[in-house]
Amino acid sequence: MTNPDDFKTRLRIAKSKVKKDVLSESEKRGSFMGTAFKLGTELVAAVGVGTIIGFILDSWFGTKPWLIIIFFFLGAAAGMLNVIRAANRMQKED
Amino acid sequence: MASNPMQQFNVHKIGPEIKIAGVDLSFTNASLFMVISAGLIILFLFLGTKEKKIVPDKIQLISEMVYNFVAKMISDTAGSKAKPYFPFIFSLFMFVLLCNMVGMLPYAFTVTSHIIITLIMAIFIFIAVTIIGFMKHGFKYLSIFVPSGVPTVLLPLITVIEIISYLSRPVSLSVRLFANMMAGHTMLKVFGGFVVSLGILGGWLPLSFSVALTGLEILVAFLQAYVFAILTCIYLNDALNLHH
Repeated sequence: MTNPDDFKTRLRIAKSKVKKDVLSESEKRGSFMGTAFKLGTELVAAVGVGTIIGFILDSWFGTKPWLIIIFFFLGAAAGMLNVIRAANRMQKED
Repeated sequence: MASNPMQQFNVHKIGPEIKIAGVDLSFTNASLFMVISAGLIILFLFLGTKEKKIVPDKIQLISEMVYNFVAKMISDTAGSKAKPYFPFIFSLFMFVLLCNMVGMLPYAFTVTSHIIITLIMAIFIFIAVTIIGFMKHGFKYLSIFVPSGVPTVLLPLITVIEIISYLSRPVSLSVRLFANMMAGHTMLKVFGGFVVSLGILGGWLPLSFSVALTGLEILVAFLQAYVFAILTCIYLNDALNLHH
């Protein structure tokens, strides 16, 4: 009743159909938005953490404006490091 | 009907107030939806693994797909050494996914749109990963703060930057999930409000936007759960395989 060749061709047709619509347009846009957001939070989080560390150290040592300024820039550098690492990771995934 | 788009994020008590040693432990709508999400996971996996058929039915197929998906994610990002942590990452992924998805239902409360919940999860992961790193490598684990091939002059500066980068992990992990969920739900509510205020004449455009946004939000709900789990795997990988 069922011959194997017929099944194979049907399977091939079904597989080619599946491959075509892996990602629709809106799904792609959603994942791009996710990517952009991911990089944004990486950058902002490190700047925030750096500034908070600077603030805490300032109130410990009583060197009011200086450490917060230094750690703000160190945090920005750490944020860029995070972004570069995240971007490298994304390239590896694709 | 509430017109304030932020009102959906209000936490309110359900039932009596419970105070133990000065800590407010009352049952809130947040706890209720966490219980619902956890219950749904348990029910789904119970039904999926009840009958171990050779040709699976739909629910068994879905649970096997989820299992394979998480198992593949772990082995791809963290290698075979991370196998013992599969239960943890699987429960984490399922919990975040179900909390996001349950939040998509009308009148539901989105647990993950509160930073305190995502931050607690992220801090727990951060501390656990740090402890695992120290247990596996001892004090050699501190060498992740010292990248190789850096000139000695720059070493103190780079180390400080690396430490800040390490400490920013739980912040970025939690803020990403929280902000995505909160922004999406606020946007849905705002467009829903437009439909009501523009009435039957002008309300069709925001209504169609709302439909499209709902689709996008479901995608974001899945994607954020995936990102949360995969970043946990990546941090675990850094702790298990020290190769800097």
